Amino acid sequence: MDLIIVGQQLVNGLVLGSIYGLIAVGYTMVYGIIGMINFAHGEVYMISAYLSAIFLAIITSMGVVSVPFALLLVLVVTIFVTAIYGWSIERVAYRPLRGSTRLAPLISAIGISLVLQNYVRIGQGAKSQGVPPLIDGSFRFHLGSPDSFIQITMIQCLIIVASLIGMGALHYLMQKTALGRACRATQQDRTMARLLGVDTDKVISIVFVLGSAMAAIAGVLVTLNYGSFDFHIGFVTGIKAFTAAVLGGIGSLPGAMLGGLVLGLSESFFSGFINTDYKDVFAFSILVLVLIFKPSGLLGVAEVEKV
Amino acid sequence: MRFFSWFIKGYAISLFVVLVLFSTSAKAGGIVKIGVAGPFSGPVAAFGDQFWRGAEQAAHDINANGGVAGKKILLVRGDDSCEPKQALSVANRLVDLEEVNAVMGHFCSSTTVTASEIYADAGLLMITPASTNPMVTERGLPTIFRTTGRDDQQGTVAANFVVDKLHAKRVAIIHDKTTYGLGLAEAFKARLNTLGVTQVLFDGLTRGEKDFNALVTKVKGKHADVVYFGGIHNEAGPFARQLKEQGVSAPMVSGDGIVSDEFVLSAGGPGYAEGVYMTFGADPRKIPAGASVVAGYRKRGIEPEGYTLYSYATIQVIAAAMVGSGTTTDGEKMAEWLHNNSVDTIMGKKSWDAKGDLTILDYVMYRWDDKGGYGEVE
Amino acid sequence: MKKAIKDSILTGLVAFLVFGPISGLVLSGYSIEVHAERPLIMAVVVALGRFVFALLADSSHGLKLSAAIFGRRDGGVTVASGEPTLSPLLYLAVFAAFFLPFLLSKYWLGVAILALIYVLLALGLNIVVGLAGLLDLGFVAFYAVGAYGYALGSQYFDLGFWSAIPFGAFLAACFGMVLGFPVLRMHGDYLAIVTLGFGEIIRLVLNNWVSFTGGPSGVFVQAPTLFGLEFSRRAKFGGEPFHKFFDIAYSSSYKTMFLYFVLLLLVVAITFFVVRLRSMPLGRAWEALREDEVACRSLGINHVTTKLSAFAMGAMVGGLGGVFFAASQGFVNPASFTFFESALILAIVVLGGLGSTVGVIVAAIILTVFPELLREWSQYRILLFGVAMVLMMVWRPRGLVRPKRPFFAIRGQK
Repeated sequence: MDLIIVGQQLVNGLVLGSIYGLIAVGYTMVYGIIGMINFAHGEVYMISAYLSAIFLAIITSMGVVSVPFALLLVLVVTIFVTAIYGWSIERVAYRPLRGSTRLAPLISAIGISLVLQNYVRIGQGAKSQGVPPLIDGSFRFHLGSPDSFIQITMIQCLIIVASLIGMGALHYLMQKTALGRACRATQQDRTMARLLGVDTDKVISIVFVLGSAMAAIAGVLVTLNYGSFDFHIGFVTGIKAFTAAVLGGIGSLPGAMLGGLVLGLSESFFSGFINTDYKDVFAFSILVLVLIFKPSGLLGVAEVEKV
Repeated sequence: MRFFSWFIKGYAISLFVVLVLFSTSAKAGGIVKIGVAGPFSGPVAAFGDQFWRGAEQAAHDINANGGVAGKKILLVRGDDSCEPKQALSVANRLVDLEEVNAVMGHFCSSTTVTASEIYADAGLLMITPASTNPMVTERGLPTIFRTTGRDDQQGTVAANFVVDKLHAKRVAIIHDKTTYGLGLAEAFKARLNTLGVTQVLFDGLTRGEKDFNALVTKVKGKHADVVYFGGIHNEAGPFARQLKEQGVSAPMVSGDGIVSDEFVLSAGGPGYAEGVYMTFGADPRKIPAGASVVAGYRKRGIEPEGYTLYSYATIQVIAAAMVGSGTTTDGEKMAEWLHNNSVDTIMGKKSWDAKGDLTILDYVMYRWDDKGGYGEVE
Repeated sequence: MKKAIKDSILTGLVAFLVFGPISGLVLSGYSIEVHAERPLIMAVVVALGRFVFALLADSSHGLKLSAAIFGRRDGGVTVASGEPTLSPLLYLAVFAAFFLPFLLSKYWLGVAILALIYVLLALGLNIVVGLAGLLDLGFVAFYAVGAYGYALGSQYFDLGFWSAIPFGAFLAACFGMVLGFPVLRMHGDYLAIVTLGFGEIIRLVLNNWVSFTGGPSGVFVQAPTLFGLEFSRRAKFGGEPFHKFFDIAYSSSYKTMFLYFVLLLLVVAITFFVVRLRSMPLGRAWEALREDEVACRSLGINHVTTKLSAFAMGAMVGGLGGVFFAASQGFVNPASFTFFESALILAIVVLGGLGSTVGVIVAAIILTVFPELLREWSQYRILLFGVAMVLMMVWRPRGLVRPKRPFFAIRGQK
């Protein structure tokens, strides 16, 4: 095996894994707190990709030339609007169903994801959209001849760094602040938390907002990285991110990141060295195998069945 | 048991009544319905738009000149999203519910192959302006035609170009696993191997994805000096971009699936699309017979790119077949007429062989430039 | 009143923020077209809606009205005593169904076939989810196995329609068992995810194994025959066409009619079978297992065979649905077996009321015919479908029909 190729696939896998990780956070947090699979989360990510392109077009047309400043502005506005999306979805489709059967919110979530997908299709058209290349440049690590190098572009660096910072901040928020304590309390026992004065409805809303914000970061960076997107991207990426969340142990934040990385790396190595066609089959097989031998995921806490 | 005898008696009596009551049905006259089936939504909706622009204008022009034997053309849109399953239900709807007289479509080869079975069974004339896979006409269905080339011709032109002009020794072939993409890639491979060059990689990617970095690294590892891609612009765009980003200097060559502005958009700008080659029919905009139509489009601010003029010509062919064969309903008679006669269209004189393929073909090589346009390679 | 106005303005504002960018600012190339009127209208509509709701919640009439609409939302279970009975209405409906082919055009008959296929799928999933309580998000896998079993069987082994029915059902049941084994230990959502993964794996293999399955381009299916008579215009497989044999004019609807009758008979039989099954020991074991697995095991119910039989049974019915799907379409490709299809079947089962056979049948028919009626607004079809799914869940989270639980008295102790 060529060292260069291995290194390059490692980079590819890390980037892909970081994206999965960022989106997986949304799944894992929502699942942790209300025990539902939020199928609409992938579509929230898709919406954020559109939002970032829209805001980027506005900001460049207003004559902002400084790329870092424009980027920051786009990131902030996109996170804000995507968070409102997350909040409204919870408010409209999930809150009325709280306390009903376990399957009702699941169906509702599937309904919402259909709505979002088709809303974007009607609003923005079915064709794929794009953003102009914004950040150029890359780091190249030469090994031997000038033709063989491992390369990581600036945006790819940004993706890895941003996901690490995002995860770190979120972890801090969950473990060290009053809000985090309220979240964890609600996660453990919602009724008890409410009795002790935690506004659980608000906490759940905040979880949706945080999850959407992380998806928005992923949306902005992915848009910049690939330069094009369409209204289909939410589904495939959503399913993969969800797989990552489960792989890492659903409900656990570090697990989501770990799961994302494992998935990204295995995908890129499998398709690079074994077979491109069956990389997704391989990813799902890993999921099934992990769950069979460790039913609560890599970092999840095993459920104890009380009788 | 009594229940069953009651059931059967009741059933028989009611059946008789129903059959008598509903045995007559009449068909509307005065208009000719032509189905326009293509991807009006979904990832390749851009081509659907080209279809509709061409067909609409053609129907408008023919109707303004008295229609088809005095009957006005009415176009019925059928959206297949470039998806065989949808194409099947569209075909059934056009045949059974809309009761069209003929069909222009579909775009993607996979949808055309699937839907043509329905049209052939119903005895309807179907002409595709865009599907290039050999299977479309190779199955011996009598009423299926096309007004475009075939992938074996397209692949041959591309392979000749790659070997003769680009002097390639190491060729990587990537396809999107669809009827069109895989068919094109295999046609290319076949010609390439006859020319004495073997590919260093033959691999597929999945439609709908955006991240092909792992595949690109694989291509890079094979040190290919030309990358051939069989597929459509949605995947070709990001693939071309990621090739450039990872520093692969080998030029990319593709087929008629990327002849749309959207290729540039999905690649992320003209900078990434520049230098990509593609095969497509000789530019129909330059044919003198269609000059006035092209001018008409441009006056309205529409550039008749890609398959717009192909679909205009296809509607002309359908109309001519109806007039020539003297029937607007019998697809088999129209087909017979088309096999024996040639039609003057805005793309010049067209005639068909026994399979339903065009007798004259003219694929040439184009190259995308740094402004997001494409021009013929001399 | 004041609060109502304040609330609705606030809601309108949020709605404007949400709708604003996507529908108001439309990307065109790298620049934007502004359609400010679209989000404004939507926001006003949302605000007005919120206002009406707030008014309703304020007045006593409004409360009564909303109670009438949303009143029965807790649903629940009715316990019926004695033998399970089916209402005469159902007999009438089945009777009427036998006349549909002569009333409907070919197109609508095709829709009716599709509706019946979904009835089969929903009945199958209902066994797994509704009765045995095993949440399966990859049910489409068995549907695909049935359909491809027929399609590939006919391509490679010259398998006919009639032999494909038992073959497809058997193959799907085997896959059900294969899936069942590893997931025996899992519960609830983990089970859901593994089944989802399984469904995706099947689809991906079908999509990528191009040399065997034809990949995304699919496989054509040998058309069904009746005692060797073909329904096509010309005999394709060496038999004699149906219309020539009976010396009648050719019509492409004969095949559709024939399929419809066979399918209808099968659906009636399966429904009967499922209804009877529920009062048999196996069906009761499923429902008991759903309610409390630990108690069941301590009472000596073999949870392995019980769960596996539920998977196999459900998969078998799903596989039958697949065979008929392949036969009616004449063509199958992996795009027919996406996760969306699984979700749709699950939505049917949940909407019909988990465990309620009649409810599931009604829901299956509604959810297949409703989108067809919306064909006119093809642009908005799936959007409206999604909205309907959400509203239905908010309105009736436990489904349309209250499930009836059969009640059994021990003889002599009444």
